[in-house]
Amino acid sequence: MSDPILSLQHVHKSFGEAHIIRDANLDVIPGERHAVIGPNGAGKSTLFHLCSGQFAPSEGKILLNGDNISGLKPAEVNRRGLARSFQITNIFPGVTVFENLRLAVMRKHNLQFVFWRSAARLQQVNEEVEDLLIKIRLTDRAQTLASQLSYSEQRSLEIGMTLASDPQVILLDEPMAGMSHEETDYTAGLIREITEGRTLLIVEHDMSVVFSLAHRISVLVYGEIIATGTPEEIRGNVRVKEAYLGEEAA
Amino acid sequence: MKFGPLLLLITVAVLIALPWLVSGSMLNAAVQMLISALFAMAFGLLCGQAGMLSFGHAAYFGVGAFAAVHAMNAFGGEGLLPTPLLPLVGGATGLISGLLAGYFSTKRTGVYFAMITLALAELMHALAPHLKTVFGGEAGVSSFRMPAWGIGFGTLNDVYFLTLVWTVLCIGLLYLFSKTPLGRLALGLRENAHRLRFLGYNTHALGTLIFAVSAMFAGIAGALQSMNIEAANYVVLESHISTAVVLNSFIGGVRVFLGPAIGGAVMTFFGHVSSDLTRVWLLYQGIIFVLVMMFLPRGLVGELVERIRNPSGDGIAHTLSTLLMRLASLAITAFGAVFLIEFLQRFLSPEYRAGVTDGNWPDISLFTYDWSPLSMSPWAFGLGLFGIGIALVTMVNRRVAARKEAQA
Repeated sequence: MSDPILSLQHVHKSFGEAHIIRDANLDVIPGERHAVIGPNGAGKSTLFHLCSGQFAPSEGKILLNGDNISGLKPAEVNRRGLARSFQITNIFPGVTVFENLRLAVMRKHNLQFVFWRSAARLQQVNEEVEDLLIKIRLTDRAQTLASQLSYSEQRSLEIGMTLASDPQVILLDEPMAGMSHEETDYTAGLIREITEGRTLLIVEHDMSVVFSLAHRISVLVYGEIIATGTPEEIRGNVRVKEAYLGEEAA
Repeated sequence: MKFGPLLLLITVAVLIALPWLVSGSMLNAAVQMLISALFAMAFGLLCGQAGMLSFGHAAYFGVGAFAAVHAMNAFGGEGLLPTPLLPLVGGATGLISGLLAGYFSTKRTGVYFAMITLALAELMHALAPHLKTVFGGEAGVSSFRMPAWGIGFGTLNDVYFLTLVWTVLCIGLLYLFSKTPLGRLALGLRENAHRLRFLGYNTHALGTLIFAVSAMFAGIAGALQSMNIEAANYVVLESHISTAVVLNSFIGGVRVFLGPAIGGAVMTFFGHVSSDLTRVWLLYQGIIFVLVMMFLPRGLVGELVERIRNPSGDGIAHTLSTLLMRLASLAITAFGAVFLIEFLQRFLSPEYRAGVTDGNWPDISLFTYDWSPLSMSPWAFGLGLFGIGIALVTMVNRRVAARKEAQA
């Protein structure tokens, strides 16, 4: 087994008296699609916030490629190759789809405080935006305002923006939330395509998606990771059944 | 919009020919209009594009105005800084003060941002009277425009062209700026700063820079203003200057590129004309703002652009006739309202009441007729016209709504 690309070691996060994450340990292997499942309130989103720099862990270490990233700001974590999407659609609603992706792509080329070049003439950026549009299948919608996209199109755009910095590790927070069956299938296919050659950490409630998509699954219950393993192992795990899957089956 | 560039060319051509087309007083107003258009454009960059509503933009306008006057006195319009280049001083001081103020104010967003900008501007305004060497106390600082580059700069025409060149140049630069990566990021800042952070951008630095660029252009506008009147007084730091630029920009349409400029120019022109005609012109200005915000929330230019982009399915003939009917009924309403307001203003003025003796109420002269305030006629006339106008507006709206329903 190769060294983990993302590793949580004894991570603890509390807000005052509330201990949301307790001694979480998780190793994500390069190239795998790793899902985090768990009942509502288990701390899945908090785990993502910790990995992406929104929160700093109260205790413990988070390593990305062996470097400690705990306590770094979101922008710095992003620069080191970890990008995330959000549970609630988090795009630039009042500008076009093209512009959304361009804003996301420009950062990779270190175009931040540049006021002497025309954005329209950035050949490399434009090509990458076109590529992303094809990948997320929104080429015909390039000039539409992001706010006018359908829900699943907005989710695709969200994923496209996450992809723009060409990250090694992608965190997707409930990308299928609120989608119909068709939309879910569509998005699952999309995720499979775009995570080729990258590492994915995904939080998702739809178990059929999780078990078909993920190489490995970790189960988070009350802030603790109680099991990690292949879908078969997780299905057969007694503790998981008790804590989570059994509940749903019952 | 294929006719956009053509329209722009015609506008610039008219502006160049203006000194031969209008009177001196109008040309003077035109200088003011250009300055307030540029000031509004600077504000529009910050508020419309980057979504940061500053309530203290007078500070940077004022800083530029004073810097230009001091530079005028120091260099005498020669050497390193000949008269035509003086706005650069205003721009530089605007930029520097914008960097400082922007650093602090952009640490917060929304209402808190607005409050900080307001506080900083009020701080300047409160300090100014005490710093006599800089702001010249009550009298202000005055100077003279000196000839340079073979131009006298003594006549109004010269000042007009100086202002025109700078305004057009700056608006052009602002346009180019909006097309650069930094300019595009301003939109990102407005739409979703949180997301921008997760994409790896330094939103505080971005906000500070955009604030500073906006303050720079405000400073240039301020410099043009003090060069025009050859003086600067701490009155330019007053909060009503900050308010006016907010109102003008929103009336024009803060989200469309030239919206603030048109708003600034139109409202300055309106002020110039109406302040000669009536004492309550500020009231009219306020009413216009409220009405625009209520019925055309995109602003005048914003609404126009929207109508051109998404025309109603009525066809040109119908659209035009609806527009004409609307304008006609609005004109009747407006006339009724203006009549009532003017009559009341005269009726309530201290001069009139001083003339009232022993229950003898003299006639009030308005629109070439004398009206007795005790008779029904003026009230019925004003209210009646206003009522008829409103009824007509409602009728037109109903017809449009009915037609839309029939189409759908």
